[in-house]
Amino acid sequence: MKILKIPRGFDLNVAEQPDLSCTHLALPSSLGCCAGDIPHIRPKLLVKEGQRVNTGEALFTDKRDTTIQYVSPATGQVKTVIYGPRRRLMEVVIATESEDEYVEYDPVDLNGIVGMPRDELVACLKKGGLWQGLLRFPALDCAEPDHSPAMIIVAMDGNDLFSPRPDIILKDNIAAFEAGMAILRRFSNRLSVVCRESSLEGIWEIGRSVAEQITHTAPDIYPAWHPGAVLYQIKQQAAENNSWCIRLDHLVMMGRFLLSGRYPVEKIVTITGPGERQPHMRVRQGMPLSALVGKIPGNSLVTTGRFNGRILEKDAHIGLFENTVNIIEAGPGEEMFGFARPGLDKPTLSSTFLSSLFRRPAKMDCTLHGEERACINCSYCERICPNDLMPAFIMKALHADDLEDALALGLMDCCRCGLCSFVCPSKIELTQILSDAMDAYYKDKE
Amino acid sequence: MKNPLKKFFDDTKPLFTGDGKYKKYEPIWDATKTFFFLPSVKTLVMPFVRDHLDLKRYMSIVILALLPVTFFGIYNTGYQAGIGAGESWSVTRCFLIGAWYVLPIIMVSYVVGFAWEFLFAVVRRHNISEGFLVTGLLFPLTLPPTIPLWQVALGISFGVVIGKEVFGGTGRNILNPALTGRAFLFFSYPVSMSGDVWVAGKHLMDGVTGATALSVTGAGGQSITAALYDAGYSLGRLFTGFVPGSVGETSALCCLIGAAILMVTRIANYRIIIGGIAGFVITTIIVYLIPGGQDSWSNAGPFYHLCAGGFLFGISFMATDPVSAPGTNPGRWIFGAAIGFLTVIIRVGNPAFMEGVMLAILFMNVFAPLLDHLVLKYKSSKRIPNV
Repeated sequence: MKILKIPRGFDLNVAEQPDLSCTHLALPSSLGCCAGDIPHIRPKLLVKEGQRVNTGEALFTDKRDTTIQYVSPATGQVKTVIYGPRRRLMEVVIATESEDEYVEYDPVDLNGIVGMPRDELVACLKKGGLWQGLLRFPALDCAEPDHSPAMIIVAMDGNDLFSPRPDIILKDNIAAFEAGMAILRRFSNRLSVVCRESSLEGIWEIGRSVAEQITHTAPDIYPAWHPGAVLYQIKQQAAENNSWCIRLDHLVMMGRFLLSGRYPVEKIVTITGPGERQPHMRVRQGMPLSALVGKIPGNSLVTTGRFNGRILEKDAHIGLFENTVNIIEAGPGEEMFGFARPGLDKPTLSSTFLSSLFRRPAKMDCTLHGEERACINCSYCERICPNDLMPAFIMKALHADDLEDALALGLMDCCRCGLCSFVCPSKIELTQILSDAMDAYYKDKE
Repeated sequence: MKNPLKKFFDDTKPLFTGDGKYKKYEPIWDATKTFFFLPSVKTLVMPFVRDHLDLKRYMSIVILALLPVTFFGIYNTGYQAGIGAGESWSVTRCFLIGAWYVLPIIMVSYVVGFAWEFLFAVVRRHNISEGFLVTGLLFPLTLPPTIPLWQVALGISFGVVIGKEVFGGTGRNILNPALTGRAFLFFSYPVSMSGDVWVAGKHLMDGVTGATALSVTGAGGQSITAALYDAGYSLGRLFTGFVPGSVGETSALCCLIGAAILMVTRIANYRIIIGGIAGFVITTIIVYLIPGGQDSWSNAGPFYHLCAGGFLFGISFMATDPVSAPGTNPGRWIFGAAIGFLTVIIRVGNPAFMEGVMLAILFMNVFAPLLDHLVLKYKSSKRIPNV
């Protein structure tokens, strides 16, 4: 097992860690299948409002590849179809029935996975609505099945500081994990399984066989355990740029799907926020936000990852790629002479407030703490970037329409962790600028 | 109860924003309001949490680091005036007399400079950047206390308009605006900027010169250090700063305190300061080892060079301006070291410009983008290509 050394990143003490117990939430009256969190997708609706669907039945597909399907997490009538700006499909909401009727497939055992023709395996996963869990670098689009990646990174931990712990996801799912790993071995013989230092102990406890397959541990400095940051650390040649990655919960879902022949509807979600520590929650796919969190304090922001998630509206449903809900308060408002205060309660990665002298729990809020200004070349973004980029110079190259320069500076190595925007004292949306440019370049190349 | 100031800004908001009557002047209103009340807009795009450091805080730390040299400069101006008058004044009196000379310079610098900033912000319809907070204080600290106020106004105008705004404002300037203004005055009004101008007060006693240590040379085979000692510039005095000179530059000690604040808070990049001092010391030693020139500054050695003149002030506060310095770490080392090297070379090789640090920094400002370009090219070539 190799220990990755990623010294740069966010290492403040945030005190919102969820409790390690796990509760089961009841089936809510509606579940949603969300398209808003899926990168690059051009959704095409396959059902109508009022139509009855079974659990595991396709609801929409991707126009770019119609064999990829997004399936219903519940049995019931399609209640509403929600569109976003420019009539982009956002969510399909199902009014749930108490008894599930599954779309049934033939179960496959471990030997079956090893022996199955690759095309058949891919077709099966695509039909089951799980193929899209495998993502391809650098743009993190769906993996192309006929392409053999140099490496597949299995990320045991999620996108947020407090995503569900791998040992809780793995509980009772060791066989599914093994099956998932067997699937991955069909596509690449180099699997890099990465977990956070703090998760390792729990994984040893839950299953020796799983822990022995871990190849790398990453320090508990965000975003060291992100697949993008891990890939940058371990890649040695350009061929590895198009590696694939998959998150533990999707891997387990794939395994469960093949072993049982049914769409796995369960997932583990964590909720972080000010106040009491909440337990991990075992819930259905596509839970509505209202069923997950009770009352949301006014003026606060609900996101699916404080650094790189999306904003959840009050009536939103959790998407396939999301398993954390952060409630972030708005903070104290406009403080008088805020710039001149000693700042014991102002968490910062710089050393300009007294808070940097102590390791007190950092109270994060969802405001900018300033106004946008021109870049002053301070290099805070370079100092924080886990992938050795110089976001300010890339941003300037992009503003000058010099894509070649931006690419040479490593634009496509960006892992969209959000830290450059986090630290920028000029409050420039660096992550957004880089991320948009990556997507535009990827779309252009495609 | 609602803060009355807050109420004032809330009441005037409709006038200055949207379709208000004075919407043209929104930048001025916004700058005033955000000075009193830190803006706290909600984040709309990821990441949803942000660091508390913003440009206001950033520039405030630089101001904080400048306070020791400013206060010492005010005191020293009064102290030197006392010596010039042949009297021994109390600390309070020194402060008051010093403030009488220095504060008007600082005020003119801020008022005129902000007038230009406001004008450009209103015409260009952008918010006012905090960069000028620092420029407006740095500029007066580089001037002799005897400078006429109209020259201060002219100098800061040149610095802000030609040094910064013609390039697009803070963040886009090539040269350090404060130094640009000083260089303009230095070459346009040499009479006010060189010679016996460094001591405030109308009449100097006989035998008291108002020259800086850098203009001292040993006459008739006397070594430079002995000549400096005779002229009242012992190393201790040069280090603590009780000598004539520009308002802010005299005290090496206060400059080092400021540099320490900037480096500990990591507002200034330590690479520039350390690299600069290293380049400077190495060059002074090399120059010292070259035979000849017993009576000139080439033989003064690193300590006298460091403590006399404005090098420490320049390398701590001027060269570390992030906008006009390189944005890459190797570039910063080279930039700092080259400033140190050039300062000594100008001091030693060209007695017409006794103070080399201003020219050295401006010269290297011009080369900063080239240094960045070379470093970026090198770094790109080391990356595993990903296109």
